Amino acid sequence: MEMEEVVRIVEEGVVHKNPIVIEGLPDVGLVGTIAASYIVEKMNYKEIGYIESDLFPPVMVVHGGELKNPLRIYGNEGGVVVLSEVAIPPSAIYPLTTALAEWVKEIGAKLVIPITGLPIENRMDISKPEVFAVGNSEEAVKELKDKQMELLEEGFIAGPHAIMLRECYKRELNAISLLAQCFPVYPDPGAAAAAIESLEKFLKLGIDVEELLEKGEEIKLKARDLMRQTALSAPEMQKGVEQDMPIMYR
Amino acid sequence: MGMERRIIRTTWGYDGNLEPLYEVEDKEDEISVTFDLPRVRKENVEINTTENTVEVIARMSDAVCWERWGSTQKRITFQALRKQIRLPEPIDPEKASASFKNGILRINLPKGRRKVFIPIE
Repeated sequence: MEMEEVVRIVEEGVVHKNPIVIEGLPDVGLVGTIAASYIVEKMNYKEIGYIESDLFPPVMVVHGGELKNPLRIYGNEGGVVVLSEVAIPPSAIYPLTTALAEWVKEIGAKLVIPITGLPIENRMDISKPEVFAVGNSEEAVKELKDKQMELLEEGFIAGPHAIMLRECYKRELNAISLLAQCFPVYPDPGAAAAAIESLEKFLKLGIDVEELLEKGEEIKLKARDLMRQTALSAPEMQKGVEQDMPIMYR
Repeated sequence: MGMERRIIRTTWGYDGNLEPLYEVEDKEDEISVTFDLPRVRKENVEINTTENTVEVIARMSDAVCWERWGSTQKRITFQALRKQIRLPEPIDPEKASASFKNGILRINLPKGRRKVFIPIE
């Protein structure tokens, strides 16, 4: 079987060409997932497709009596958001990111922005998390420097966003991961808000994060189950390596 | 293993309690446990420890009511976050301390067993 067939991306609405694609798959602090759902809600993005695979858990979700896939794609003419309501099994990461990169290439994405977290131990002492960025090409890094983003200079990155950067690079697509300092195993709406504010430098959405911060505690309560599922697959995802020092030096 | 092997493992109960997320870290001389306690004020947190367990009961400022979700639980209200954890090694309950900041409760539990210095011959 072809790699691309393991994961199927099914379009179900109008998919506009040349958007900026935001990926918010479950990872540390659920930063990307919380940010992605808030963007979809605030921008009133329409559901334009879903992602299915035999590698995902055999789970569907019911919203307002309607049956839905837990991995869905939303968007309008300017932006596309990919999100998931279930944890992604580590074995599905490669096929999923490959299929996603292939699809974003087809729709001619201008830029791919995975949003995620950067776990730190003293998160409880930080009121405003810093956001770091990793670009997947010279051009992407130049853009980050132009926009005065804080670069992650050295270190390992693990999880869906890391492989997404690589798969986009292979297809000559510029991608930038935004990593907000976060709690590793607690849902972190504050980090999601910081990431959305940084996103504004790339995609002018004009989103006010006030409501996200106000509803933070409610979101934390509702996100407990997904956070727990996600934390369970973190060791296999090699999340621990992110705290390690790479051996290469210059 | 009993609990983990159950088919249905919920993070909420019909007794009005939600299970909070928590993290246990085994440090050299102490065990550090943190709990994520959204909607909770410091004065509404109760912590009880024994040598082998730590229990947290945290009353939320407003009850949480979730509706139209699941089959049996059409409408269910939660008043508190509650969890008892079995510790990886015995601690000294008298020396335990706790702090609460930005919705995160941190409990430091010094280990009960004293270290014995072994000289190298």
